[in-house]
Amino acid sequence: MEVRIVQQAFDPQAEVAAFAAGRDDAGALVSFVGTCRAGTGGMAVEELRIDHYPGFTEKEIARLAEETAKRFDCPDLLVVHRVGPIRPGEAIVLVAALSPHRSDAFEVVRILMDYLKTDAPLWKKETGPEGARWIEPRAEDYARRLEAEKR
Amino acid sequence: MAVLGGRLVRLVFLGKFGDVAPAALAEVALPGGVRTLGDLKDWVAHQQPLLGAAMAATRTRLIVNQCVAHDLSLPVTDGDEVAFLPPMSGG
Repeated sequence: MEVRIVQQAFDPQAEVAAFAAGRDDAGALVSFVGTCRAGTGGMAVEELRIDHYPGFTEKEIARLAEETAKRFDCPDLLVVHRVGPIRPGEAIVLVAALSPHRSDAFEVVRILMDYLKTDAPLWKKETGPEGARWIEPRAEDYARRLEAEKR
Repeated sequence: MAVLGGRLVRLVFLGKFGDVAPAALAEVALPGGVRTLGDLKDWVAHQQPLLGAAMAATRTRLIVNQCVAHDLSLPVTDGDEVAFLPPMSGG
């Protein structure tokens, strides 16, 4: 399992290819890429800045990833998360899971993303023409997280 | 900033707290009266009212030496790193 926090733009396709290279034991590979939107809630976004707490953020994401992988048949998992200033269209997060079964690979990625949306120690600030604002999880993010616990 | 016999602690302010925390609060010598994490939180709010207002307006979690502090009555000791976390935005 690998968890990486990166300061620079990364290439999700290259990351997934490297992660899956030579893994003929798995049979199923599912990946999710979250990218920076050019606008949210009618507000244009020129830049997204993600703040993290070095050490603690990596540790907490690794804990969430380990807990999720343990619940399924998932021999390997990759999480790459961007921090710092991000432009619209750039990748923010990549989660990729290997499994002998496609249902497990899908579930691991989906549930880990639900956890990351509420529990990852990251702070997002959107800047647009109308100014800057800090983002907090939406009610639907918390609802999904509760659902993720039940699955 | 060192005070003879004082405890030096490092303070980290994340997210919106970082916007209003002055650089002078990154490393501080604590006065004798600041014994617990709760005292520290009150002292920080008093030192920087904007930060105090930001913390009062939202849920604030304290992380001590990279571990979540559940009990604010625990003592602050020399060399501690204490981080002040507003609600997280998630990934």
